[in-house]
Amino acid sequence: MSKQEIKIITKIIREVTLYLMMHGFKDFIFESKNTAKTTQLIITLDDTKPDFIEAMQTKMNRERQMEIETYGWELIGDIDQKNELEIISLLIDSMDVEYTQSKTIITLTRTNKYL
Amino acid sequence: MKIKEFVKYKMLLPVIFVALFGLSLVFDSPSNIYTGYINILKSPSVLISDYVRIGGLGATLFNVATIILFNIIMLKRLGFKMTGPIFAGVLTIAGFSFFGKNIFNTLPIYLGIYLYAKTQRLEFRSFMIVVLFSTGISPIVSFLIFGTGWPLYIGVPIGIIVGTFTGFILPAFSAHTIRFHKGYNLYNIGFAMGIISMLYAVILHSFNVNLNVGGPTSEAYHSELLLISLGLSTLFLVGAFMIDPNVLKKYPHLLKSTGRLVSDFIRDYGKAVTMLNVAFMGYISVAVLVILNLEINGPVMGGILTVMGFGAFGKHPKNALPVMFGAWLGVTITNYSLDSVGMVIALLFVTAVAPIAGRYGVIIGVLAGFIHIIITPLAYVFQGGFDLYNNGFAAGFVAALMIPILEAITKQKPEEDGQ
Repeated sequence: MSKQEIKIITKIIREVTLYLMMHGFKDFIFESKNTAKTTQLIITLDDTKPDFIEAMQTKMNRERQMEIETYGWELIGDIDQKNELEIISLLIDSMDVEYTQSKTIITLTRTNKYL
Repeated sequence: MKIKEFVKYKMLLPVIFVALFGLSLVFDSPSNIYTGYINILKSPSVLISDYVRIGGLGATLFNVATIILFNIIMLKRLGFKMTGPIFAGVLTIAGFSFFGKNIFNTLPIYLGIYLYAKTQRLEFRSFMIVVLFSTGISPIVSFLIFGTGWPLYIGVPIGIIVGTFTGFILPAFSAHTIRFHKGYNLYNIGFAMGIISMLYAVILHSFNVNLNVGGPTSEAYHSELLLISLGLSTLFLVGAFMIDPNVLKKYPHLLKSTGRLVSDFIRDYGKAVTMLNVAFMGYISVAVLVILNLEINGPVMGGILTVMGFGAFGKHPKNALPVMFGAWLGVTITNYSLDSVGMVIALLFVTAVAPIAGRYGVIIGVLAGFIHIIITPLAYVFQGGFDLYNNGFAAGFVAALMIPILEAITKQKPEEDGQ
C-alpha cells in the first residue's frame, strides 16, 4: 500500500472517530484490515439508534468521486460540525451494516487507488 | 430527447455555448471577430486585461464560446456526469474568458496536470476539479510569450514550459492549501495559484521585467452584457421550473447548507433546485451592480458568471449576501472606491468567503466581507496579476485568519443522539 493511501485511510479513521464521538459514542472498536487492493474499516458499536445508522448510510452510500478525493482529501478528519461526513462518503466504495444481538457492525470498504 | 431531459442535460451548458456563439456573430462581423480574437490570443492577459476592450464584444463572446465548447467536449470524452464542482468550473472558465483565459494560454496548464496524473498512475479525469480551476494562472503563459518583450523563440518555449510546470505542481499544492483555510475559501485553487504567482512575480521582478501590463476596461457594452446576464439567469430560472414545477418549495433546504468545500448542490439537492439557485445568484449579482450604479465590463461579466457557477458549488443568497454587504461596507467607510474595477469585481468575488457566513451567521459574514475587501488590493500587489483569481488568494488569508479563532470560541457540545 502506498504512503498516500495510508495517509487517506488514517484521515478517514480520524473523521469517523470524530463523528461517532460527537454523536455521543464512548465505547467502540475500530479495526482496519488492509490488503494491497482494498481496505476495510470495521467499527463495532453498542446500542445504536436505527435512525442514526440510516442517516449515516444515506450519506455514505454515495458514488465514489476521484476528482473530489484528489481535490479535498486533506479536509477529511477536520470536521467541526457533527453533521458532516460529506467528503469521506465520496472516498469509500460501500458501507455495510450488520446487526447482532447487542452490537452494530459497520464495514467501510475502499478500493485502493494509489499504487 | 424530451425538452425536460434536454434542459437537464449538462445543466444547459451546450445552450449557453450556442447562445454566446450566435451572439458573437450578432455583435460583430466574422472578419472583426477574427482580428479581435487574434488580439485576444496575443494579449499578455494579466489582471486586469479586459478582452471586451482588447478584442471587441464579438471576439470576446467567440473566445468564451470556444472555451466552453472545448471543456464540454473534454468532459464528455472523459465520461463526466454533471456535478456542482464541474458546473462551477465550466462557468468560471467561461467567466474568466472575458478577461484573461483563452484556448492558447490554458492548454500548457492542462498538459502539466495530465503529466502529473501520469506520474501518480491515476487517470487524468481524477484531477478534473483542479483542471477546470487551474487556468486562473494561465496569464503566466501569455505574459512570458507576449508581455515580456522577449523574442518569440525565447518567449514561446519558456511560456509553455512554465505553464506546464505550473499545472504539474498545482494538484498537490492545491490539495495542501485547502487545509490552510479549512475549506472556507471556495476559490481554494485561486489561493494556491496566488502563492505560485507570488513566486513568479518575485523572480521576474528580480530580473527587471516590468509586470504592470494590465490595461483599462471597456464599459461600452454595458447594456448588452447586462441583458446577457439577465438572459442567462432567466434561462436557468425557466429551466428549473421546467424540470420541477414545485422547485420553489424544495429550495429552502439548499439555503441551510454552509457551502463549505467540497459541497455539491447538484448531488445534494438535484438539478432543478440548483438551477434555481444559479438563477438567483445571477439576479443578485446584477441587482448589486444596478443598485450601486456600476457598469459591466469584461471582468465584471466574468464575476457574474463565476458567482452563477458557484451557485452549484457552495454559494446561495443566504451565505452570499452578508459577505457582499460587508464588502460594500468596507468600500464605503474606508478610503477605497468603487471607481476601481478591482473593487467592483471584489464585490462579486467576495462570495468566495460565503461559507463563513453559512457556518457562523450574518454578523461574522459581514465581518469576513469587510476584511476581504480591504485585503484584496494588497493581494494583487503580492501576486503580480498572474493569478486571475486574486480574490481567491485574498479569501484564503481571510478564512485562515478567522476560522481558527471562530472554531476556538464556538462551543459545540457532543450530543447523545447516536445511542
